[in-house]
Amino acid sequence: MTERGLAGPRGRTKQEVAALQAALAAEQAAIYGYGIVGAHLTGTRFAAAFADSIAHQRTRDSLTAMITARGGQPRPAAPAYRMPIAVHSAAQARSLAIVLERQVTAAYLGLVALAEPALRRFGADQMRAAAVRSARWGARPQAFPGLPASSLRR
Amino acid sequence: MGQVRAEPTRRAMLVAAGAGSLALAGCKGITALGARPKMHADVIALDHAITAEELMIARYRLALAALPAAQHHAGGTGKPKAGGPDRAVVAALLAEHKEHLVQLRARLILPPRLATASPQPSPTPAAAPAARHQILAELAAAEAAASDRLVGWLPEVPPALAQLMASIAAAEAAHVVHLGYGRLAP
Repeated sequence: MTERGLAGPRGRTKQEVAALQAALAAEQAAIYGYGIVGAHLTGTRFAAAFADSIAHQRTRDSLTAMITARGGQPRPAAPAYRMPIAVHSAAQARSLAIVLERQVTAAYLGLVALAEPALRRFGADQMRAAAVRSARWGARPQAFPGLPASSLRR
Repeated sequence: MGQVRAEPTRRAMLVAAGAGSLALAGCKGITALGARPKMHADVIALDHAITAEELMIARYRLALAALPAAQHHAGGTGKPKAGGPDRAVVAALLAEHKEHLVQLRARLILPPRLATASPQPSPTPAAAPAARHQILAELAAAEAAASDRLVGWLPEVPPALAQLMASIAAAEAAHVVHLGYGRLAP
């Protein structure tokens, strides 16, 4: 347990707000991205994109409240985001949804590393939710969602 | 970062402590029992996580062994199938669990004497069910339960190990979808 307890209460809150801001930025980008995803889908897949977008909006609101509760100022969403994939078809829209969810999964690693158990739990639950959504969009199995390869022991 | 030092050990110590206490009890009665060495909560959590992965691997091996026969029965054509998509998915997920186990074991530092000791026998799950849908359903239920348990242990472990365990929990939650539960319609 040597990695915990190094920061005082003020330092800890600063770390928490920074981790929450990182997760918030990823959620905001995902919400924007799902607008593009949904625009290229119809029927049940459109409904799925809509539902996932709502899930991200709810999480964004939770993160905003958590930042405010810690005396932080939630950073507003950007007017537009550069998407990692150009989307012109339903297949590309599904690929974008997978990439968005993978980015969201990685963005919660910072929260999981905090000492506060409730934030760890929240971060882990969001990682699980994003990994499940990614799988539903047809992603191949990933052994370590969100983790950079450099963090794994060889 | 993220390694958990088993002081004086992990499971081996738990077993040794139990065996030693019993041996003493046989000689001098129950009052001769010494206090068990205290295990750190992070060592216990990691030990549980390793045991859970070993159990999951055993489950998947049983499922893999049972799947071709199950598909044969389900098809009813009289011709045994060599595998099929279910078997490929189960094999891929088994490979991921093996990777999880390698990474979890790498986070545990054992004292040299114990690191070379004989490994404890791996836990054995109940026999795999016969029907294909039942095999996949039981794997999916086991994945969901394992994912929940991992998240429950997060408060006990150092940050880097918490990240690894959260990632594994996310993988296991996604496995439920890969096993055919909650997938979007094509």
